[in-house]
Amino acid sequence: MNRREALRQTALAAGAATLWASLPAGTWAALAAPTAWSAADEALLTLIGDTIIPATAASPGAGSVAIGRFIITQATDCYPPQSVEILRRALREIDDASHQRFNQSFPALAVAEREQVLTAYEAAPQSGAHPFRLIKELTLLGYFTSEPGATQALRYDPIPGAYVGSVKLGPSDRSWAL
Amino acid sequence: MTNHPTTPGAREHTFDAIVIGSGISGGWAAKELCEAGLRTLVLERGRDVKHRDDYPTALKNPWEFPHRNKTPRAVVTANPIAKKCYAFDEASAHFFVKDDEHPYVQDRPFDWIRGYQVGGKSLIWARQTQRWSRFDFEGPARDGFGEWPITYDELAPWYSHVERFAGISGNYDGLETLPDGEFLPAWEMNDVEKHAQGKIMGAFPGRHVIQGRCAHLTAPQPQHLAQNRGQCQARNLCYRGCPFGAYFSSNSATLPAAAATGRLTLRPHSVVESILHDPVTGRASGVRVIDAQTKQVTEFFARVIFANASCLNTNLLLLNSTSARFPAGLGNDHGLLGRYVAFHNYRGSLSASVEGFEDSYYSGRRPTQLMMPNFRNVRKQETDFQRGYMVFFGASRAGWQQGNYAPGVGAAFKDRITRPGPWGIYMMMQGETVPRKENHVRLSADRKDAWGIPQLVTSIGYDDNDEKLMRDFLARGQEMLEAVGAKKITARDSKQNPGLDIHEMGGVRMGHDSKTSLLNRWNQLHACTNVFVTDGACMTSTGTQNPSLTFMALAARAAQLAVAELKKGNL
Repeated sequence: MNRREALRQTALAAGAATLWASLPAGTWAALAAPTAWSAADEALLTLIGDTIIPATAASPGAGSVAIGRFIITQATDCYPPQSVEILRRALREIDDASHQRFNQSFPALAVAEREQVLTAYEAAPQSGAHPFRLIKELTLLGYFTSEPGATQALRYDPIPGAYVGSVKLGPSDRSWAL
Repeated sequence: MTNHPTTPGAREHTFDAIVIGSGISGGWAAKELCEAGLRTLVLERGRDVKHRDDYPTALKNPWEFPHRNKTPRAVVTANPIAKKCYAFDEASAHFFVKDDEHPYVQDRPFDWIRGYQVGGKSLIWARQTQRWSRFDFEGPARDGFGEWPITYDELAPWYSHVERFAGISGNYDGLETLPDGEFLPAWEMNDVEKHAQGKIMGAFPGRHVIQGRCAHLTAPQPQHLAQNRGQCQARNLCYRGCPFGAYFSSNSATLPAAAATGRLTLRPHSVVESILHDPVTGRASGVRVIDAQTKQVTEFFARVIFANASCLNTNLLLLNSTSARFPAGLGNDHGLLGRYVAFHNYRGSLSASVEGFEDSYYSGRRPTQLMMPNFRNVRKQETDFQRGYMVFFGASRAGWQQGNYAPGVGAAFKDRITRPGPWGIYMMMQGETVPRKENHVRLSADRKDAWGIPQLVTSIGYDDNDEKLMRDFLARGQEMLEAVGAKKITARDSKQNPGLDIHEMGGVRMGHDSKTSLLNRWNQLHACTNVFVTDGACMTSTGTQNPSLTFMALAARAAQLAVAELKKGNL
């Protein structure tokens, strides 16, 4: 049975074109809005995520997949309880840093200025685990498991059909998603 | 009929054979018994899981899981044991028991991983399938801790029998320590794995690096297509259930074959409370079942009973099957029932990085890994510990997760972390543990489960031999990774609890001598010969191989014997 036939049989057996359908737009926008967070906080997190992973010629950025909502949901549901407070602290510190550096709030900055603020914040020593690590980890997780992240920034093949042990890596080839 | 059922409605409750449990060994017993003409009742304590229809996550994309397939904290907190299993996540949690619904007592820490549903753990197993060698069967007698009543040569045709039907991929490696089977084509190695293979085998004669053997259809044969099973698509999402039927499970293979005979009755939600003993015949007459949902008690009768409830649950069932003749549990004339439980030692692992090979990559997701058959104490005792270990290993390139630890933001950062990162290589052990009398399970004197059945007490632990064996693996692993040229070698002792290997075995061990064992060479209870135990409980020792293939071969072999004995009028 080749791959095409396997797909056809499975679709028939599972009765289901719907099984292959994704969440609306394949992003985290379909999640319920977090209750304990303001829209402004969520928007700020999305902006930070979009600065870490911006849109490029080949693929959209993390802002396009409602990354702020994902970060809050994931931290609240899956991470240790103190993670939520760490996120809030990071938001305060990043906004403070942008005021100190550019005399404006983070959302008001140009992209290059936002990158400077985050780069400096990431490099600044912290006592204990760095809050930026948490934001970065959740941003990468949410983005690269979203539909645009998996299928455009990476290569996504839900049914590879075979394992090929030796493939020449081309200069523009991306990693496999998953 | 040799039994004398007296319950009203006994006729409708009477079968030729009863199989307790529908997992990997129960499925085989059911198939063989049904195909030999026996009307067979399969009792499964969990819900029904229909092949394909009941694999709700099998075709989901990563973005369809709200927590991107991580387990929410509430689920982790409610399932402190199941959550430790590497296969437990948002996509597979429905195939694991909820810990709070199935309590047990840990005398010593033991992680008991369970899957209560039709198909049992055959839906969530790791699918690695290697034959035992003659050294594994001869080992316990040589080392003085037990005696297998069968030889490799006796089991070899039954390995072939189950391999042909299940479909096992692998290379013909010609190794006495890991005999070849009936193989479908093996999976490929990647370039770093080939490099490691060459370096290790060059530096260490006798340490063989081979491709893993697994129950995946790499090239389905007519007998597999006849089961409506198709080629493995290299998705490696197996724990969700395979919509292609490409890996072997009871649900995709043995139970449909049993059902096709028209002689199978499958009864989910059936908790077997005990096996009934008839003092007149001296045999088991049937089983007492508690409906998992209504708690209604029913009895079923048969001339042959197969216990395949999974290793520790089969122990529990026999311990709870008390009668005037067997006050300490069915077949337990010497207090050895529940003793000599062993498992696999998984504690040691190593990881390292490999430089170079930057223009080499791979495609697809391989459902197996490289293996090194045991090379310790094979022909004679050579070390300060008994027995040995299998090594598993593999190499791969870092994906986007490399970005978690890399500084930077913005387009250049994104570009960098979406390209394949450095190569990493890992090794892990699967060590034999020596069955000890003190490693045992028993019934709790006061605690019961929701069905009024005594809870199981586990008293199973590591010993000094396990520590020495692990240290040897870590030292040998280190020297092998150095020979490969790997850098940043890190060795680790996970200190994980026994049980998390999910390879618990024994408690109802086989042996020639009825004074020191529970089962004879055909897996019949010495003291009650129409009861067969062919799951992990029957194992006299653990070997270093993944055990399921051996359970399957023993189950098929015992079923054939049961049919022959019935025909001769001996059962």
